[in-house]
Amino acid sequence: MITSAVVLLLMCTAYMVYEYYSFKEIEEKNISILGSVIAANSSAALAFDSPKDANEILNALKTNPHIVSACLYDEDGKIFSTYPLNKTRSTFPQAVLGNGYSFYDNYLEGFQPVMQNEKQLGTLYIKSDLDSMHDQLRHFALIGLILIAGALIIAYLLSNILQKTISQPILELEQLAKVVSMKRDFSVRAHKQGNDEVGALTDAFNQMLAQIETQNQEITTFNLQLENKVTERTLALQQQRDFVETIINSSVDLVAVFDKDLNYIMLNKHADDFYSIKRSEIIGKNILDVFPQTKESGMYSDLKKALNGETVHNLRYKSLILNRYFESFYIPLKDSKNNIYGVLTIAHDITQIMEASEKLEKINDELIKSNRDLEQFAYVASHDLQEPLRKIQTFTQLLGDNFNSKEQLHKYQEKIGMAALRMQNLIQDVLNFSRISKSEDAFVDNDLNAILDSLKVDYELLIRERNVTIINSTLPVIKGITLQLSQLFSNLINNSIKYSSKDPVIEITANKLSETEIKSFIALNPDKSYYKIVFKDNGIGFEPKFSEQIFNIFQRLHGKQTYSGTGIGLALCKKIVENHHGIIYAEGEPGIGATFSIILPA
Amino acid sequence: MLITITTKYLYNVRKALLAVVVASLMAFNSGAQTQNPEFKVKAVFLYNFSRFVEWPAEVFTNATDPFVIGVYGENKFGTSLEEAVKGEKIDQHPIIVKYFTAASEVINCNILYVSSSNKEEIKEVITNVGSKSILTVGDSPVFPKFGGMIRFFTQDDKIRFQINDEAAKAARLKISSKLLSVAQIF
Repeated sequence: MITSAVVLLLMCTAYMVYEYYSFKEIEEKNISILGSVIAANSSAALAFDSPKDANEILNALKTNPHIVSACLYDEDGKIFSTYPLNKTRSTFPQAVLGNGYSFYDNYLEGFQPVMQNEKQLGTLYIKSDLDSMHDQLRHFALIGLILIAGALIIAYLLSNILQKTISQPILELEQLAKVVSMKRDFSVRAHKQGNDEVGALTDAFNQMLAQIETQNQEITTFNLQLENKVTERTLALQQQRDFVETIINSSVDLVAVFDKDLNYIMLNKHADDFYSIKRSEIIGKNILDVFPQTKESGMYSDLKKALNGETVHNLRYKSLILNRYFESFYIPLKDSKNNIYGVLTIAHDITQIMEASEKLEKINDELIKSNRDLEQFAYVASHDLQEPLRKIQTFTQLLGDNFNSKEQLHKYQEKIGMAALRMQNLIQDVLNFSRISKSEDAFVDNDLNAILDSLKVDYELLIRERNVTIINSTLPVIKGITLQLSQLFSNLINNSIKYSSKDPVIEITANKLSETEIKSFIALNPDKSYYKIVFKDNGIGFEPKFSEQIFNIFQRLHGKQTYSGTGIGLALCKKIVENHHGIIYAEGEPGIGATFSIILPA
Repeated sequence: MLITITTKYLYNVRKALLAVVVASLMAFNSGAQTQNPEFKVKAVFLYNFSRFVEWPAEVFTNATDPFVIGVYGENKFGTSLEEAVKGEKIDQHPIIVKYFTAASEVINCNILYVSSSNKEEIKEVITNVGSKSILTVGDSPVFPKFGGMIRFFTQDDKIRFQINDEAAKAARLKISSKLLSVAQIF
């Protein structure tokens, strides 16, 4: 409808344009013809100087109401006569301007020569408005519009009639199809209106609807059955699942399942007792994302092994996640085609057993050490303690044999007394040593400077006699047992004084160990801080090969005759330092001196 | 008075505008013998008649035969006629001016101006012309009465003319209706 209206409108417009140009042409021709007649008629008036006649001739133009003005010029181009007669001459072109007509400003105007027998006698000027043309164009436009309107009305009426017979049933079908597709109601039927093609179409449509309806019902029934079956199966599966889950969750072991990429698929309830992260946050994530510390662990390599098809049984594994011990199984999970799709991990917590075992081991170690000490002690004691006894026995026997010599008797008596004293000293030292082994006194802060000062007072007499020089730097405060630390210092100073050939000089220095220094001693705990106290003397020294031996009980490097001693002093020092969780070592050079270094926790 | 008239109408008449003005001034100044402005107009009219009248073809034997405007009697035009026709042609016929003194001489021309008010003289000339295709022009009021074809007269200070179409038709001259329309019909 709109299309046809537009087409009509375009056609009318095109026609109007064409009309406009043809009208212009016709108008120009009309005016030209009129001008020719007037020009021909006015030749005599011009030739014989009769403006009156010229006026009359020009006046004939009034029959054409569109001629606005006209005039005649004489041979010299002066205005000879005008139309309308009384029109001011100055409003006309003051000279003849060319030949022919042209459209100008909604007017048609032009000049035409006035000829008589080939002789030009003057010129005619005519100016016409274009109202007639415009009138006619308006007229045409009106007719055009009326035609369009009429055509459209007829088209509308025709389409109305046609719609009733052709479009109406199709539109109804379309409407019905919409209803069907929107409401999904396939029970509706189209109303058949005739036996034409549209009627056949309606039949086909209805038939199609009936088919769809039947099929729909079948599908619905089938779906319903299927749904019921699915529900049943789901329920059965759910029950089965619940059963398995209950069993797995009831397990006291940690049970986990990983997929091929080591993402957690499943974790049993027991994991909640171990991990600080909730099970729900672990499931689905990669083990390395949840516990990055496992990357270099045995667990990770065991999982990898299992993924390669190996069933791994790790008897004892210390978890990097939990700081607990587990006995764990890594079992590859295979599908029906024997492809590995995951790993089942079962970990049994053996921490308590391990802890008990560790404790036992520790105690065992201690027992072995104690046993060794005892053996050594027994051996040494049997030897050293027997020695003065043997002396006493020998001298007692000699005393009996030489009863007559009073001098000899006195000599042997003295020797027996000396041996008894030595025996007493030995027994006292052994007692001291054993007491230290058992000591479990509380640790207190000890200012080593104070201990040294107190010792200097105790040894005042000896120091003076042997002309001893003790040089010391400021010493630290150490946590420990005061009596033992005092004993340690006393033994070391005593040792230095004892094994010297000249005036003893003892230098005591102390410094805090750096981290690297601490690390260089395996026995030290790198998390603690330590002080190193060094006793350096100018004594007789010792061969470097004896640096370990000298700390053994009853180990003496020299004969009793040269240097007096029980052989317990340095062993006692070692014991005291070990009691304080420290280490002691000695360096020596014969003839130059010895250096004893003690490292104690601050 | 005369000067005023001539000045007024000469304004609209071809050629000689300047000449007439000069002539008028001269006439005014001296009053002596000079070209008459009235005849200047008449000279032009005489020439213009040739454009509105159709002569029978047999008047000319050759295409280049001259078209003759004859003046019988006193020449009141001076040189006006010669000036008016100078260089002009009708078809291919050059226009020339001839002056006649005897009535018997007037036969060999196409337009004849009879410069006489004498009735007898006019009668004689017209009789002489007879049925020849000569357009006769005169000034006398009796000129058409005696068979003359065109007579000049003055009306409202303008030169007008009277036409005796019957006489022209008798001489097989076809006078244009346009010429008739600007003339008084006898």
